[in-house]
Amino acid sequence: MIEKEEQPKKKTRREFLQQLGIVGIGSTLGGSAILAALNYDKSKTDSQRIRVLTAQNELHEINKDDLHKVLPSKHGKLTYLQQQGRDGLEGKRFVMVIDLSKCQNARKCMAACQNAHHLRPEQHHINVLKMEETENTPPYYMPKPCQHCDNPPCVAVCPVDATFKRQDGIVLIDNERCIGCRFCIAACPYSARIFNWAEPLNAQVEKDVEYNVELNVPQKKGTISKCLFSADQVRLGKLPYCVSACPNGVYYFGDENEDTVTNGTTKETVRFKKLLEDNGGYTLMPELGTKPRVYYLPPKGKTVPFNEQDREEASEHLHHS
Amino acid sequence: MAHFNKAFQFKTRSIIVLLTVFGFQLTAQNWDVPADKKAKNSYIKFDKTTASEGEGIYTKNCASCHGNPSKGNVLKSLKPTPPDLASSGTQKLTDGELFYILNTGRGLMPSFKDVLSESDRWKVIAYVRSFNKSYVQVLSNTDPTKSDKVKVTMVYNHETNTVRVQVVAKEQNTSLPLKDAEVLLFAKRYFGKLPIEKGLKTDESGVANFVYPKDLPGNKLGEVELLVKVNDEVYGEVESSTKLKIGIPTDKPGLTQQRAIWGVLAKAPYWIIALYLLGIATFGVFVLYLVKNLFDFWKKGQQ
Repeated sequence: MIEKEEQPKKKTRREFLQQLGIVGIGSTLGGSAILAALNYDKSKTDSQRIRVLTAQNELHEINKDDLHKVLPSKHGKLTYLQQQGRDGLEGKRFVMVIDLSKCQNARKCMAACQNAHHLRPEQHHINVLKMEETENTPPYYMPKPCQHCDNPPCVAVCPVDATFKRQDGIVLIDNERCIGCRFCIAACPYSARIFNWAEPLNAQVEKDVEYNVELNVPQKKGTISKCLFSADQVRLGKLPYCVSACPNGVYYFGDENEDTVTNGTTKETVRFKKLLEDNGGYTLMPELGTKPRVYYLPPKGKTVPFNEQDREEASEHLHHS
Repeated sequence: MAHFNKAFQFKTRSIIVLLTVFGFQLTAQNWDVPADKKAKNSYIKFDKTTASEGEGIYTKNCASCHGNPSKGNVLKSLKPTPPDLASSGTQKLTDGELFYILNTGRGLMPSFKDVLSESDRWKVIAYVRSFNKSYVQVLSNTDPTKSDKVKVTMVYNHETNTVRVQVVAKEQNTSLPLKDAEVLLFAKRYFGKLPIEKGLKTDESGVANFVYPKDLPGNKLGEVELLVKVNDEVYGEVESSTKLKIGIPTDKPGLTQQRAIWGVLAKAPYWIIALYLLGIATFGVFVLYLVKNLFDFWKKGQQ
């Protein structure tokens, strides 16, 4: 008996199975505890996720850690195109001269403009108006773009510095800044501005195109658009779209500092001040003190008769006795 | 098929006859082409290549009014109606006359002198001539390869206020002044070329003197880039440009330099800033005055 007791303890099968059971249950419990902890951790990070609205107006959910602040570019808050568009061309003062005696209402200027600035058919940066001032004066056609005033009322009323004047005289609108308040439409005495009430013409096609402030392309819904004197063309030394599209030699465009203007149709270059002097040039509503950069030559010596159907439209406001 | 062809031929023929009548009416109105211009000939050979090049230029610049030659689709709403250029009325004109009409324009037709280069203008005529089977071209004596030999010098004379343009051809060690060459002088501008005086012809020593306008603005330094175009019977068309300090120095400030009521705050006029600050200060003083009075009331009440 004693000998038996002195024998080293030898695990019986029962003891082994007991221990195995303990280890098994323990590891299962431990494993599930770790798993629960992991799940707990995961649920914790879920609450760290945040929702962000992209520029494309889509809602995304991302981890807070993945959020990176976009640093401002070299040009401050403006893109290169916006900054370039704001500065304008040094040493230039652009002017336009419209010779009313040559306008035959071909409307090629309007078509070229709409094509360049991707406007809807009912939107016009430049419009050919049918004019008849009194019953005894002859009717005439008058193309009317933005007057690019040197004292622009539209710029004065803009609350967000979206519309601005450049050193070369051109008045532009930055659609990235415009909040659509339409104060400028109310302020402009020439009705030169339009509002994008509807989705622009090529909204789907152009959604990834970089915005060019000198072209107003892509157009943006809920913002203003206006005649730009084709600032993008002028930068390249080319005449504006409307000017070069005219088949009748109505438009002259040039630099006041050089005292010359070039005809868009014949490409003939003449002295600016002499042209105004010889033909009795004038500006629209000079009494308002807006100092327009668009000059008109009176409809003297017109050879083409006024369209009879247009005549009714032109004389609508006259009181016939 | 043959029947259709016949009918088609008849139709075209009748159109051509009609247009010929129109054409005669137009040519009956005198174009007043000077004799030397009438005799001018092209240095470009009218063949299939130049005609097809001319077709492109024609479609872009001429077709909107003159339609496609021999098709009769001219713009009839215009008065006078522009002629179909395949009509005999047009085709009986000399190359020089067509070239002159293209250069000057008249009535509703604009001038294409500054729109198309000389070679492009001749190519348009090459295209128009391709509709005339019986036409035989007379080439001018001009040799375009010789134009490299021509040297143009420009000198400004302050006393007489003239630009002296001399045209000389370097021929084997000898310099030959070009006589009776057509010279045009332009001042280069941002959008185009400003012609200085009308075109002149060189004298025996190859010189043409242009009276220069005194009031023409130049750049900041007063420089004006002058461009000379020489057209000689033998040596063809030559262009040369020089920068001369003969303009009025122009350095006008940008239109946003001055303080203006429409500018942003940083550019606002001083009187607006002063008036605004004065207003704020007045209001502040008024409030302080009110507070002081109220305090006085309270103090009197305490007594």
